[in-house]
Amino acid sequence: MATIASSTDMGSAQEARPTRTPAFEKRLAKRYRSERTFKFLGQAAIVFSVSVLIFLLGNMLFNGIGGFQRAELAVPIDLPASGVTGDEVSLTAPSAAQTLEMQGLPDVVEFYAVEALGEQGAEQISRDAWRDVADALSADPTLIYRTQTFQLPASSDLAAGLDGEGSPEIQALAKQLAQEGKLGENWDWGFLSRSDATSPQQVGIWGALKGSILTMIVTLLLAFPIGVLAALYLEEYAPKNRWTDLIEVSINNLAAVPSIIFGLLGLAVFLAAFPSFRSAPLIGGMTLALMTMPVIVISGRNAIKAVPPSIRDGALAVGASPIQVVFHHVLPLALPGMLTGTIIGMARALGETAPLLMIGMRAFVATPPDSFTAPATVLPVQIFLWSDEIDRGFVERTSAAIIVLLLFLLLMNGLAIYLRNRFEKTW
Amino acid sequence: MTVIHENMEDTGAKMKARNVSVYYGDKKAIDEVSIDVSPDYVTAFIGPSGCGKSTFLRCFNRMNDTISVARVTGNIELEGENILDETMDVVQLRARVGMVFQKPNPFPKSIYENIAYGPKIHGLAEKKPDLDVIVEKSLTRAGLWDEVKDRLDDSGTALSGGQQQRLCIARAIAVDPEVILMDEPASALDPIATAKIEELIDELSGRYAIVIVTHSMQQAARVSQRTAFFHLGKMVEYGPTSDIFTNPIEERTKDYITGRYG
Repeated sequence: MATIASSTDMGSAQEARPTRTPAFEKRLAKRYRSERTFKFLGQAAIVFSVSVLIFLLGNMLFNGIGGFQRAELAVPIDLPASGVTGDEVSLTAPSAAQTLEMQGLPDVVEFYAVEALGEQGAEQISRDAWRDVADALSADPTLIYRTQTFQLPASSDLAAGLDGEGSPEIQALAKQLAQEGKLGENWDWGFLSRSDATSPQQVGIWGALKGSILTMIVTLLLAFPIGVLAALYLEEYAPKNRWTDLIEVSINNLAAVPSIIFGLLGLAVFLAAFPSFRSAPLIGGMTLALMTMPVIVISGRNAIKAVPPSIRDGALAVGASPIQVVFHHVLPLALPGMLTGTIIGMARALGETAPLLMIGMRAFVATPPDSFTAPATVLPVQIFLWSDEIDRGFVERTSAAIIVLLLFLLLMNGLAIYLRNRFEKTW
Repeated sequence: MTVIHENMEDTGAKMKARNVSVYYGDKKAIDEVSIDVSPDYVTAFIGPSGCGKSTFLRCFNRMNDTISVARVTGNIELEGENILDETMDVVQLRARVGMVFQKPNPFPKSIYENIAYGPKIHGLAEKKPDLDVIVEKSLTRAGLWDEVKDRLDDSGTALSGGQQQRLCIARAIAVDPEVILMDEPASALDPIATAKIEELIDELSGRYAIVIVTHSMQQAARVSQRTAFFHLGKMVEYGPTSDIFTNPIEERTKDYITGRYG
């Protein structure tokens, strides 16, 4: 140690070290400066994107909260005196609404509406309001024995009046009814269970949500196995030659094809093959699966490549056959990466509108699809359709639908992260 | 040409390599090597980096098959059967010729699963109790049982480096192979773990034909009875370990042993 120290001293005494000159210190200061600049630019970029995101989400929430509420009129109905009859059995039967309609429930509702709200007010109750009463009776048949105050949806004109829009007369009426406590904005749970309608007071998101869920199921069932198998074959079995190179390039290109082209493909191929399944989640799912598969193949291949060769060697060396190596060792280790890719592809498919417009999923569908082949629409298409409506009431409903779509997306991502962490292993 | 020492006649050879050459594309990595492997002695391959000793070792269980550009010519017999033949079943071959790698590579599964995997895929155990016996026996033979018997469900990757390597050895002997190939099994380990591995090799020889590739000449001297010195793809000298280290015939061997290069 001592000899080394003394030799260093001698060195510095003889000449100035290159790392101790003013020029070096100047260069050093410059290096630190550029590092600070880079750090600042990075932080600025993060701040900018986060604030844009917060603005977007905040704006959406602010507008969307109104979409989950609707203007309702309070109408007390004395059911025992109304002449409408029924018991637990008849009121819970599927035909209950029809029976009640024949017993004159629509007229009963109108009569009590006039009584409670006056002629002018009763006009602002939507014509189908008696259906809400019928639904309430089906849910709780004991209501038939008492007087009950029902919250019935106001017309969209009156709803606009409550928001300070529309003609002065309607605004005055809305103000008066609100002051009497007969008109108010109520939390509208029905929005989550109804389907599309012509009036913003009557619309719901469930039809589109169910359509999206069914479509995603078809997409996942098709794209995931095909994508994973394709990735496994290309990585583990395929010989490296001109043909597999060509396939690889094609798959990479497929991932970059604009989505509307896939819609045209679905129209030309799938709808030509199954013409009666227009607007069905089955066809929509198949079309979106085409779009999602390349993403899964690419991410799957990367995940397989990331499995250390030593694990493969270890398995081969104890006598595992190639297929056992793949299914016992490579696939379990690559699965988290594959799931990440799948969820990115699925999230993109969930938000996709253009290809579905091509295969007829933009139809007006007032009942939720009850099968994979029933006509349906999906959330983003529903948002697109509502945003096109003239009625002002649809603006808030559109924002509410966007919130539902985002929540669904968040749920899917959360599930994917959970699955990925569950399967993730370290080596 | 290879210099082969006297008194090397062999009656109980398990594997016989004859005129084995390995090509990577056009490049010849191993040139006409012939050698015998037997349970009666541990064979060590020594030589400088890149001399082809690992490549040659990987011929004995056809691990070179995984490298698409590698091509092997010549003959390697396992009890009279040429394993380089097209008709040879590679899966069966690798069950009979086990391998331990340079870097410990336990599966990211439990300790139990690591050992049980080989017997399971080959159907060596009918029921769980049989499997338990195999796991305990293999771990005991690898000198790891006492250290891990209470945590067989822990991940194999949670063990220390030396324990991981002994786990890999236990994994190799769980299918009861005839030959065990070891590719620098201690080069990633500290001296204490290395000593344990060397002890283990000593105990396992006799039951298994062991071939070990090593960088360390001291290690070759400690664990092997026969040593082959490789240089630039050729086997330069082959003889009893004591002779190779004390009395080398070839000039290049002498230079390597004395640390002139390598």
